[in-house]
Amino acid sequence: MKSLFPTQLGRDAAIGAVIVIAMLAMPSLASKGFVFILGTLSLHIVFGLSWNLMFGQTGLVSFGHASFFAIGGYAYALTARLYPDLHPLLAFSGAGLFSAALALLVGMVALRRSLGVYFAILTLALSQIVYLVLSSIPALGREDGFTGIRRPMLDLGVVAIDLAQGNNYYYFIIVVSALLAALLWWVMHSRFGRAFRSIQQDPDRAAFLGINVQANRLAAFAIASGVTAVAGALYGPWLQLLTPEVAHWTFSARPILYALLGGVQSFWGPVVGAAGFAFLEYGTRTMHGFSEIIIGTILLIVVLVFPGGILGGLALLGKRVGSKVRNETRVEEAP
Amino acid sequence: MVDFIASPLFNGLFTAMVVFLFTTGLTLIFGILRVLNFAHGGFFMIGAYVAFTLVRAVGAQTSVLGYIGVSIVAGIVTGLCGIVVERVIFRPLQKVDESYSLIATYALLLITEGAVKSIWGVSFHSVAPPDVMNGAVFAGNLVMPIYALVIIALGVLSYALLEWILQHTETGKLMKSVASDPWMAGMLGVNVPRFYTYLVVAGFFMAGVAGGLLLPNQTLSPNLASTFVIQAFGALIVGGMGNIRGTFLAAILLCVVDSFGSLYFPAVPGLLFYIAMTLALLFRPQGLIAGARI
Repeated sequence: MKSLFPTQLGRDAAIGAVIVIAMLAMPSLASKGFVFILGTLSLHIVFGLSWNLMFGQTGLVSFGHASFFAIGGYAYALTARLYPDLHPLLAFSGAGLFSAALALLVGMVALRRSLGVYFAILTLALSQIVYLVLSSIPALGREDGFTGIRRPMLDLGVVAIDLAQGNNYYYFIIVVSALLAALLWWVMHSRFGRAFRSIQQDPDRAAFLGINVQANRLAAFAIASGVTAVAGALYGPWLQLLTPEVAHWTFSARPILYALLGGVQSFWGPVVGAAGFAFLEYGTRTMHGFSEIIIGTILLIVVLVFPGGILGGLALLGKRVGSKVRNETRVEEAP
Repeated sequence: MVDFIASPLFNGLFTAMVVFLFTTGLTLIFGILRVLNFAHGGFFMIGAYVAFTLVRAVGAQTSVLGYIGVSIVAGIVTGLCGIVVERVIFRPLQKVDESYSLIATYALLLITEGAVKSIWGVSFHSVAPPDVMNGAVFAGNLVMPIYALVIIALGVLSYALLEWILQHTETGKLMKSVASDPWMAGMLGVNVPRFYTYLVVAGFFMAGVAGGLLLPNQTLSPNLASTFVIQAFGALIVGGMGNIRGTFLAAILLCVVDSFGSLYFPAVPGLLFYIAMTLALLFRPQGLIAGARI
């Protein structure tokens, strides 16, 4: 593998391209229900990847990531209802920028005062506030949810694509998700990413080396929130409905599960985790009650047996097999 | 006067004691093992369902003795679960990172929810308090249901009992020493692993008993676990990382504030709890009672 792709960029770009092409080919191969699951999955992947920018890279445990997903979703839905003529790309990116700005404000206060478990619980409290407020505003549909979110007309200057037609919105989701994932990849592998990782490993030393710890943590929080808000904005028209459940704390647990299940050390961890989780959920959807038992048990096994997640476990396995092979060849060469 | 001050104060105290009774076991486990146990809510729920089944089997819950007995049986059932959980999950977790233990207990919460769904189904159930506790006491215009008074008394009693155990008994001193330095405690001859087992069993027992005692207070459904656990985390962290006194005070503070909040902002019930929690974390991040463990 190493000789095939000399750089990490080359390898990750190749993996990403294969995934995206496979996803784009799906509507002509698989059933409608499966395509729907894949569209949802790709938004969940962005959700997980953006959370892992905070945790895997910067060492921040946010337990309220869903609130930014929800804020992005509701912000887009409301904008699209109030200004139906606004260009959808503007509305989607506006939802992302709005949430990123909000995260910046929240982070300026929250990150200065609290870290570790405190930050986790603080974000949990804030997300409960978002959940309660979203479920009580009449204009947002209260507990019944925001209904009738339409898939917009995408005017690209040369051509206009009606996203409500056929699988167009699915393709749109895949392309935007891939772009968001690429953005996150770029952030992780740029100087930002190196600064983030140094902070995760040792904030004091990072500060000593002249890295502005506070500003970098804030940047990771704001970028992750903005990216997840765009995914949330895309989620509304996909389901054509948004309920306050997307702001509930159990939804905030999702990206955490994805990242830890797949492996937080690798960029691809949340992708593997989200796909694995979706597979489990799909496979157990008819087993009432048992589905939670099965998902919970598998999660427990992963955490207890492979603390590095699925990818960490595979890497470990690969190393063991590799060293075994090397030992055997050495034995053969010996005489 | 009564409507605007005494009544929300009383309601706040009542919910505070509900939250405190729920949080005691969680606090003990977090204070000593440093495991933030999501599954606590799950075992609380199992306790409530076990108590419900017993009440159904016996017929209507009439006597106070039956009410307490049923709760203790529920506690024994969850305590037994605690033995298994400690062996299979908590002990191996000591070696892995804190955030993984969060995930493991969340996974356990999922399992308990699944177990409840497959054993008891998804329909809603409710149980009335024992007949003796059905009335209410009137103090002027203030209506105080007897059941609420009983819960407040139970909350204060269990706080006093725990405080006494922790401050004045050998067991309490042992708990404090293990909490502050398990390695050193082990060196001095404490069997720390066995101590952890007892502790987890005690914590789970408390979860089950609380489930039984609070059964008449809420509707039973598989969502019960996740509704309580967040408020409990709030009281736990605002109190100061797992000490009983801090948790007790934090539960009262947050719930009384929330009770006044629901009176003045009825549009969003429960909102003030989390706003108070956020402010408390921002202005006193070390917790109400800082430094003290357990």
